[in-house]
Amino acid sequence: MDRNQISKWFKNPGKMAHKYSFHAVYFCTGCGIIEIPPSITTRWDAERFGIIPVATPRHANLFLITGYVSTKTLKAIIRTYEQMPEPKYTVAFGSCPINGGMYYDSYNTIKQLDKYIPIDGYIAGCMPRPEAVFIGVTHLWKLIDMDKADGYKRYREDYALYRANQEQLFGELDWPPLFKNEKN
Amino acid sequence: MRELELFFGPQHLGMVGNFSITLKVEGDRIVRADANPGFLHRGFEKLMELRTWMQNFPLVCRINVVEPDHMELVYSMGVEKLAGIEVPERGKFLRSIYCEMARVGSHLFGLWAYANMLGFDTVAHWAMYHRDLLLDLFEELTGARVYHIYLRPGGVRRDFPDGFTDRLVETLHKIGGKVPDYNATFFENSLFKKRAEGIGIVTREEAIRMGAVGHIIKATGMKYDIRKIEPYDAYNQVDFDIPVRTAGDAYSRLLAIRDDMIESVHLIFKLIDKMPKSGAVYTKTPNPFKWTIPKGETYVRCESSRGELGLYMVSDGGDKPYRVHFNTPSYNHGLTVLEKALVGESISDVGNIMISLYVVAPEIDR
Amino acid sequence: MEILKQKLSSDFDGLNIHIPDDKRMIISIAKESILSLLSYLKNDGYEHLALISCNDWIDAGKLELIYILSAYMADDTHYQEKEKKSIIIKTKISRNTAKFITISNLFNSAEPYERELHEMFGIVFEGHPRLTPLMLEREYKIPPFRKDFDTQAYVDNTFGKIPSIQQQKEGLQ
Repeated sequence: MDRNQISKWFKNPGKMAHKYSFHAVYFCTGCGIIEIPPSITTRWDAERFGIIPVATPRHANLFLITGYVSTKTLKAIIRTYEQMPEPKYTVAFGSCPINGGMYYDSYNTIKQLDKYIPIDGYIAGCMPRPEAVFIGVTHLWKLIDMDKADGYKRYREDYALYRANQEQLFGELDWPPLFKNEKN
Repeated sequence: MRELELFFGPQHLGMVGNFSITLKVEGDRIVRADANPGFLHRGFEKLMELRTWMQNFPLVCRINVVEPDHMELVYSMGVEKLAGIEVPERGKFLRSIYCEMARVGSHLFGLWAYANMLGFDTVAHWAMYHRDLLLDLFEELTGARVYHIYLRPGGVRRDFPDGFTDRLVETLHKIGGKVPDYNATFFENSLFKKRAEGIGIVTREEAIRMGAVGHIIKATGMKYDIRKIEPYDAYNQVDFDIPVRTAGDAYSRLLAIRDDMIESVHLIFKLIDKMPKSGAVYTKTPNPFKWTIPKGETYVRCESSRGELGLYMVSDGGDKPYRVHFNTPSYNHGLTVLEKALVGESISDVGNIMISLYVVAPEIDR
Repeated sequence: MEILKQKLSSDFDGLNIHIPDDKRMIISIAKESILSLLSYLKNDGYEHLALISCNDWIDAGKLELIYILSAYMADDTHYQEKEKKSIIIKTKISRNTAKFITISNLFNSAEPYERELHEMFGIVFEGHPRLTPLMLEREYKIPPFRKDFDTQAYVDNTFGKIPSIQQQKEGLQ
């Protein structure tokens, strides 16, 4: 580690510890899951970047949404996202979460995922190679340094708007609201 | 004893793919299991009716993420049957070599999934590393690691590069040379035998009644394989055998998968020897924007790594398909056989049985 | 194939048999005789129900049900002629009131196929043990796989009408 990193450790040790130890939730949401096993095994080792998969969302702080999202999966994603403790970051793979991708006229997939849960960054590719996943994670480190990866803060502030969007899509929701009305 | 309802849901460490099972348990024994698919449903068959025949290829290969090549094969076979196109000799051999490479890669992925779920991380890392060597070869041939659109109606898209068969033979020697290590560490390990023998038994009568194909029926002793029953491409010009077992439990299914992988490696060597040295690799098809196929309907089938894969296709004389319906092997295995095989087992064996039945979730939902 | 065609023509009437090549046979039959034809073929050795599918002929006002049968091996190691054949059986039902009988008493693997056809085409199978939704999580006014369901219009009405968070915040301010 070079000399200008040492001062960052003393100024803000919590942020540095969050960056270099991402625990990813083990949830195979879409097709992009086919390139995650090569990333976490020996050839392209993800543990040197600090990423390991964990079993439960209560221990996790990174959520990889690997590809397109169908309406049934979105319910499971929202429940998993709300169980993760803060600070938490989400990264989406491919062009399907941005604007629908190649399933632009399908009746069962979500066209813009940003309307329902906050996303910090997108990785290009169909599927993204393991090297692209690592470049995305290192870019996320820079965003965390600059305090721009604030998806969880936006979720807390604008929770009423997110919840209104979710209810407009699904009707009545089974779970109670996560945050009560707070002063912004 | 009281009954409890548990969700072996989509977010679970033992689940490969986005699939959910609702279990009713009494203590540790399962009383009833209900499969809950639909997390990956995109409505493919409706989307394919709105795109032309050639524009459907990027959609077709995304039905099965682990092994997209047999989907392209069965769609191309359907179009060739309806339009009356023949494949040249060298094209047939290239297709068969390509599909056998995909079969080996898919079996290595299945070995990763099973070993990872049981906790045998050593074997899981070996298997994934060898699959990556095969994906390097795919990238050299077609340009992409996972979704290679290489087959087309009438043959393959381009010929093999120079020296490709030498590199392929070298990689297969590396994979085949590791099999004694797999045997010693995993398949003959007494811990693995205790976890897999006698678990999830599917007998011959039950398999026939529930419509099971692939390794489930090969583990009961029947050599049911479409490559021998209705040979397509170059399979009737080489000599190979179908390995079977007789016990019908999870252990015999895994052994049948391993034997299938070894047989595929030997089959690729035989195909490379017999291949004609030069020739055309595809027949020309008309302009894809204006290609209309005469009226008719057909049912074609091939053997993917999970079993018999079929396609029912209807054309009404236009430039788009009228109806396309895929008959995937995981449909019966994941919905009918799984619910029967889980009754009476303990909760810790659910992932065990599900992966040994070799279910891939996007094949069920399409 | 010809032998089977003669046997069937003598035992059933009202059949229309077409043989495109030596591995496939297409039979069209009236809807009242489906169960007897399927049990006849099952006793003859065609025990594998490969597929139940449906075509939507909107101009004629009919839905066409397709049943595809094939055979398992009688002898474990020798391949005979029977396993090569696939038999496609077609029958037409009315489109406005789509009702039919279930064959899950005859073939155990027919259950999920009929559930899927119920939610995608709107056909009600009488006598089915469990006719609940399989894959979809919401109700649609027109069943999605019918030809008069417009996917782009549905997407614009449902997903397109939900505003993004940025638009909502600008609207509030």
